[in-house]
Amino acid sequence: MIPDGELLRSRVVSALSPALEDALDRELDGYALVSPRNALLDSGNDRGVITFESGVATLAYHTGTDRGGPPALADIGSPPYQFELYALAAEALELPHRTETLRIPPGAAAERLAGDAELAARVRAAVADDGDERSERDAVEAFLENEAAVSDIRDAARTDALERAEEWGFSEALEE
Amino acid sequence: MVEAFAVASGKGGTGKTTSTMALGMALAERYDVTVVDADTGMANLLFHAGLADVETTLHDVLVEGGVPVEAATYDRFGMSVVPCGTSLAAFESVEPDRLRDVVAELAADTDVLLLDSPATLNSKSAVLPIVLADRVVVVLNPTVPAISDGLKVQEYALSYGSDIAGTVFNRVRGDITGVKAKAERYFEGPTLASVPESDAIQAARSAGVPLLDHAPESPAAAAFRTAAGRLSPNDGDHEDVAERFRTAVIPDPP
Repeated sequence: MIPDGELLRSRVVSALSPALEDALDRELDGYALVSPRNALLDSGNDRGVITFESGVATLAYHTGTDRGGPPALADIGSPPYQFELYALAAEALELPHRTETLRIPPGAAAERLAGDAELAARVRAAVADDGDERSERDAVEAFLENEAAVSDIRDAARTDALERAEEWGFSEALEE
Repeated sequence: MVEAFAVASGKGGTGKTTSTMALGMALAERYDVTVVDADTGMANLLFHAGLADVETTLHDVLVEGGVPVEAATYDRFGMSVVPCGTSLAAFESVEPDRLRDVVAELAADTDVLLLDSPATLNSKSAVLPIVLADRVVVVLNPTVPAISDGLKVQEYALSYGSDIAGTVFNRVRGDITGVKAKAERYFEGPTLASVPESDAIQAARSAGVPLLDHAPESPAAAAFRTAAGRLSPNDGDHEDVAERFRTAVIPDPP
């Protein structure tokens, strides 16, 4: 359900904080495959999948236990991990990101997998900012869709401009 | 050729002076550009142009028996820059109508005049730059108050016979494709650019230099260059334009 992305890095890591922070800083859309090192010796199929939306870990799924959401994070196990990070177009993740059962709260990956409360707080702040941005944008679009309100503003300004023309000595500049 | 642009927003904090300096620097690559701080009540341009310490400003030109405008014109960043001072006393003795003559004089000797306009429409002197300009660049932020005030600026400009060169969306965070498309239904002229919010802008301001000097490779600087490229200043005869500024707009006092 998630197409292959472009591999950005693949390495063994003893701590996930730097990788998660890097994803946040570059506002990555994509996903990570996380396998405990010992799993590499086993089937190789026992790994966690974490997706990122604008750098924020959004979904978690564990291929071994077939569990999603916060339980999947618990299933991933302890470091060191084989960590692979992939970039993917945001649109490709739009549908999976609507799967409520797989979603994890913002900051959950940083807190539970990396044990990094500070990074988790940064992630939550970024999400809050993003929410502000979106609600501001929605407000602007709603305003611009209200043709009557926009028209009122323009008419009032035009009336003001004409009324003041005489007072200010701009009459000769007035458009006929 | 000469064309006068007012850079206006109707609301403070939109990044109007940053935009004026950035458009000026970008246009200066091809044209002879003069930038004037036409916001005599709240001088700001001098802080963006490394001119905070100069002694002679536009205020000294606009007072009765003032100095010639050349004395308040500084070569900075490839442009001629005419800043205002910050002294309230100087501002109070300024005669704003004299701006018309100053603009006429500057127009005789430049290709592009950029008038950094006051962020309000509540007085004659605040509206004068919009009246004097051939075209107005409306600086917007993607917020309801900034767009409402931008619409008011546009109506004033059109009422007084000035055209709209286009809009610049400044301080943009995230994707505003929808906002731009909807705004374009109401604004004359194209969206000249969408300038992303950037730490580089604040850093340039702190350093007292224009964005295009401080961070020429930044995405915000690139967006301003795009906007400047879309302005394509019109050909106009220096003398005609100068004469128009002197006579056409404001009747002589009785």
